[in-house]
Amino acid sequence: MAHETEPIISAFADDPEMADLVELFTEELPKRIESIESAFESQSWDSLRTIAHQLKGAAPSYGFDSIGQAAGTVEHRVKDGPDAESLRGDVEALLSLCRRAAAGSGGNC
Amino acid sequence: MNPSAHETNEEPIVLLIDDSIDVHRLLAARLRNEPLVLMSAESGAEGLRLARELIPATVLLDLDMPEVDGFEVLRGLKDDPATADIPVVVLSGLTASQDKVTAFDLGAIDYITKPFDITELRVRVRSALRMHNLVQMLAQRAQIDGLSGLWNRAYFDHRWEEETAAVARHGRPLTIALIDLDHFKSINDTYGHPAGDTVIQGLAAIVGEETRASDICCRYGGEEFAIIMPDTAPTDGVMLCERIRQSLKAKQWARHPNRQVTGSFGVVGVSEGGNVNISKEEWLEKVDQNLYKAKKNGRDRVEVTDLSGAPVRLADTG
Repeated sequence: MAHETEPIISAFADDPEMADLVELFTEELPKRIESIESAFESQSWDSLRTIAHQLKGAAPSYGFDSIGQAAGTVEHRVKDGPDAESLRGDVEALLSLCRRAAAGSGGNC
Repeated sequence: MNPSAHETNEEPIVLLIDDSIDVHRLLAARLRNEPLVLMSAESGAEGLRLARELIPATVLLDLDMPEVDGFEVLRGLKDDPATADIPVVVLSGLTASQDKVTAFDLGAIDYITKPFDITELRVRVRSALRMHNLVQMLAQRAQIDGLSGLWNRAYFDHRWEEETAAVARHGRPLTIALIDLDHFKSINDTYGHPAGDTVIQGLAAIVGEETRASDICCRYGGEEFAIIMPDTAPTDGVMLCERIRQSLKAKQWARHPNRQVTGSFGVVGVSEGGNVNISKEEWLEKVDQNLYKAKKNGRDRVEVTDLSGAPVRLADTG
């Protein structure tokens, strides 16, 4: 599916009050992507849950609803009893959305 | 301090308790132009600590936090009398309806759903701040004497306890005066109760003019007034009382131009570094005794005792 690699633009991209904040958020996304990857690889479930939890709360407020939902799914799954194999798909989905949002910021500059 | 001098023009503090740095940045940007000071706590425990330290005008509280969550913070705030009246607005996810119900049950006054709608966010914060002002006003009204506009007896009791405790801890000076209007009953009987009320208000006005911002002026009983003077030695307290005594005596009364009104004053205090070895109740008794002495010695006068100079109660050394 082609659209799954397209950059995602914040719903608040045109809000002058938010522009700087959205930029800061997307600039920091690569760092979050890294920390999600490393938490998942090292099976540090507590930190994965924390990162997912924060993204779930924050992303929608920066205009990235889909990231918020995906992060919520990951958080939920980790809470239910983490298992690397069943989590992989959800973590990949979240990472993919984050990468697309990070790419969207580059295109905006 | 008079109740009327109690107003403040400082911008209210709003404390945001949320574990997500993104939410802090976001609200800081969204509330930048509001007349408020936004303070941040990034965990429930820190939030509780800061709330107790800052006593903010409103708390914005995330429910879903690791370790100490929002419900626990809410319980902590409501259990502590110092923070119980702070309006708490809960920040919650759209779907968590049961959470909102629980939060309201625990004492939250409103909620804001994430993701934030900026207009809604601002009006709900403003509304919480209005609530805070009303609560403050009500709390203050409950401590004001209606006739004189001074603090009432309940407020006096509360402050007297605080100020005497501070003296015991820090060895600071403290003086208290009790004022009783002379022959007040005869003014009421001769000129009617409205005249008596006017005299009460007249003395209250003089007390308000002659005291400083730090003095705590109260209507203590019917025709009795009390002035707590923190950081004031008895010698200075007496000077203040003398000014009140003279102003009162010199005042012309429209309802009875030929009848002067005077007052008797009992003053007891401790100077800097003075060692006070009596309870707050015994202290008040001594003030009462001085007031009685002033009456007995002809009224319209001030009788004073300096506790730091007076022999304090000796320890039981035999």
